[in-house]
Amino acid sequence: MNGDAREPLVIRLASHGVQVAFLVVLLVAWLLATHVWHVSSILLPNPVDVWRQLVDVIRSGEFIYDLRITLSEFVAAFIIATVLGVTVGYFVSRSPYLIKVFEPLFAAIYAIPIILFLPLYVMVWGLGPASKIALGATISFFPIVMNTVVGFGNIDRTLTAAAKSMGASNIQMFRHVLLPGALPVVLAGLRMGFTVALLSVIGSETIASLAGLGHRIVNLAENMEMARMFAYIVFVVAIVAVLNAGISMVEAYARWR
Amino acid sequence: MTSAETAICVRDVSHQFGEAGQARYVQALKNTSLDVARGELHCLIGPSGCGKSTLLSVIGGLTTPTTGTVTVGDKAVRGPMPRDLAFVFQENALFPWNTVFENIVLGMKFQGVPKAERRERARRALEAVGLDAFAEHFPGQLSGGMRQRAALARALSLETDILLMDEPFGALDEQTRMVLGEDLSVLLSRSRKTIVFVTHSLGEAVFLADRVAVFSARPGTIKDIITIDEPHPRKPSFMTAPKFHALRDRLYGLLHDEIRKSMTETAQPRRRYGEAAENTGDAA
Amino acid sequence: MAVAHTDAGIAHTAQADVPLKRWLLSHPGATRIAVILLLLVIWEFAARFLLDRDFISPPSTVLMSLGGVLGTPGVPKALGLTLYEIAIGFVLAAIIGAGTGLAVGLSRFAHKSFMPIILLLYGLPQVTILPLFVLFFGIGAASKVAFGVSHGMFPIMITIAAGVQKINPVLMRSARSMGASRAQILYHVIFPHMVPSFFTGLRLGMTGVLLGVLLAELYVSTAGIGYFTSLFTQNLEPTKLIGLVAMLAVIAIVLNEIVRRAEFHYGRWRG
Repeated sequence: MNGDAREPLVIRLASHGVQVAFLVVLLVAWLLATHVWHVSSILLPNPVDVWRQLVDVIRSGEFIYDLRITLSEFVAAFIIATVLGVTVGYFVSRSPYLIKVFEPLFAAIYAIPIILFLPLYVMVWGLGPASKIALGATISFFPIVMNTVVGFGNIDRTLTAAAKSMGASNIQMFRHVLLPGALPVVLAGLRMGFTVALLSVIGSETIASLAGLGHRIVNLAENMEMARMFAYIVFVVAIVAVLNAGISMVEAYARWR
Repeated sequence: MTSAETAICVRDVSHQFGEAGQARYVQALKNTSLDVARGELHCLIGPSGCGKSTLLSVIGGLTTPTTGTVTVGDKAVRGPMPRDLAFVFQENALFPWNTVFENIVLGMKFQGVPKAERRERARRALEAVGLDAFAEHFPGQLSGGMRQRAALARALSLETDILLMDEPFGALDEQTRMVLGEDLSVLLSRSRKTIVFVTHSLGEAVFLADRVAVFSARPGTIKDIITIDEPHPRKPSFMTAPKFHALRDRLYGLLHDEIRKSMTETAQPRRRYGEAAENTGDAA
Repeated sequence: MAVAHTDAGIAHTAQADVPLKRWLLSHPGATRIAVILLLLVIWEFAARFLLDRDFISPPSTVLMSLGGVLGTPGVPKALGLTLYEIAIGFVLAAIIGAGTGLAVGLSRFAHKSFMPIILLLYGLPQVTILPLFVLFFGIGAASKVAFGVSHGMFPIMITIAAGVQKINPVLMRSARSMGASRAQILYHVIFPHMVPSFFTGLRLGMTGVLLGVLLAELYVSTAGIGYFTSLFTQNLEPTKLIGLVAMLAVIAIVLNEIVRRAEFHYGRWRG
């Protein structure tokens, strides 16, 4: 059942073949649907039209306004969540008792979709960027704080005992034992927080906003500009993918160091 | 024994974890007293959970006992004393993100050794254990036996008079244990270090120790002390001598009932839903 | 404060001379409740004296007006509908997720071929196509269920496929050596082994379904819960809004807790 390292070349090629076939079938179905089966263009725009709209959006620079708003909201939310999450997480991790008190609390809150509280944030901060930043920071806080608690709290006790027995001061303990030991887990938490902050910002823009990429897609849907909407969807998916790849590289680089 | 000859003096140490009545309450040690002479290798042996590792931790200042005192030389132990005592743990005590060499240098940094001396001392310590070729390796790249030698090198580099070793060869296979035991004996004959050595292994205790303190089952107290009169460095041939077997049998006779007693105790309290496993700390 | 690491036991007995403190120290759950109560008290105080009543209400008022919220025509129906959507979505996600997960996990070729596709789809930011779902499925329950299924089925698929892959081959070999047929192996070895993974998958799936359904509900502001959240927001009725959101949060917490307990209960042999 567990795959062995050297699959016969045939199987590897065949499985990649299936993947390619999947994409091809999807694309062909899309083309057929719009050109041959006459699915209404209100529901499913023509891939050619979508491509044209995408090119137009990029060339005209129309995307810049919304992209800038979304990105600034996202970055602000992530920074706030990181600062709060790491600080709170570190201090909670210092005491096994505090960990026992707070860890289940964090886990329970994180288990529910916090986006649920968006209307409350909108009521207090309005439809502008503030509510998105606040909600994004709230949602992003949890994976960061939980991973920080685990990262610092789960350092092998033998290591801290050894350092202590050799006379390490508190600062030395933090710099040379706690920080390097906790770093992989904390980084993984930051990575989750990163992704979650981005998705939550786009999600809140979709539900209640006056600007930003999420809002733009909704706007186009309401105006039934299907092709342009699909173009923006493709654009946003690409942006998310690029950002995710970027953070992966940062994480890999940090680990290597 | 005069106080000049006593390196470590343990008086009436008792230690418990948790409060009486709590699920995790454990009385690890009860009225334990011990004198460790300067320059001897003193073994602590006993069944699982008898508190020998806890006692080592108390001696080293990492655990404050519920009652009782420990004196090292003429100083009372109130916390870690990096200039006087160096630990060698069973495993995982090397920082995995540093090379072997960096690990040793870092240990000296903690102790407060001046920067100029560190690298030279680290080199010498690695040579003493035969690991100089592996200085730039990471602990994860080394075998268990080599890791423990590196841990020993780190302890040696701190140039303390006393070494506290908590089952240092416990995670290794028997063959490696035997070889490292011989090396330790050679080391002891060359330096005048005092070593307190916790072990489970009867053979190891008889082979290495000048004196063996036998612990009772939990709550641990010292039942008896056996003297092994054989000069260091001890050769492998010692293990086949009749004297060795007699001592080993005597040790087993003392331990036998205690081992049976300890086997009927449960290791962990029953967990309630939602509780993570309790960490009973240093109970061993 | 590096002391805490090696000596949790001693740190406790040293500080806890006061009986109350000692009791609290051995009952972290009680402290947790105390923390929550403290936050509620701060909220109450802030809402009453410091903040603008038009935008935020104290918890006492919210609590007393819960009945009023439920009395608002249409709210109980919307809540009930939401629950219904979650239930249907969850069942569908479980069926599709488990079925696909098993199929992909059992065949090494299928796993190699399809798992990358599944992971790719799982990684897509589905929130971008929320408006599409609503355009396709309308503003009624169908779009909410569909969006919920879409979010919930992937974690179930992935967890179950991974669980199937992890079966110790020794178990399979010994079953076959004793003469078990493929069907018997499926029923007596694979299925029992899968139970913990299945419940873990269900827990993750529930989180996904909740997210999908609630996202869709909030988005559609002309019907369902979304109508009321937007209504209460625009009419500046913080009491009702907080009450409604709190009720939804409670529903989410309860559902999550149920699946979590099921997972713990059925996952026990794994240790």
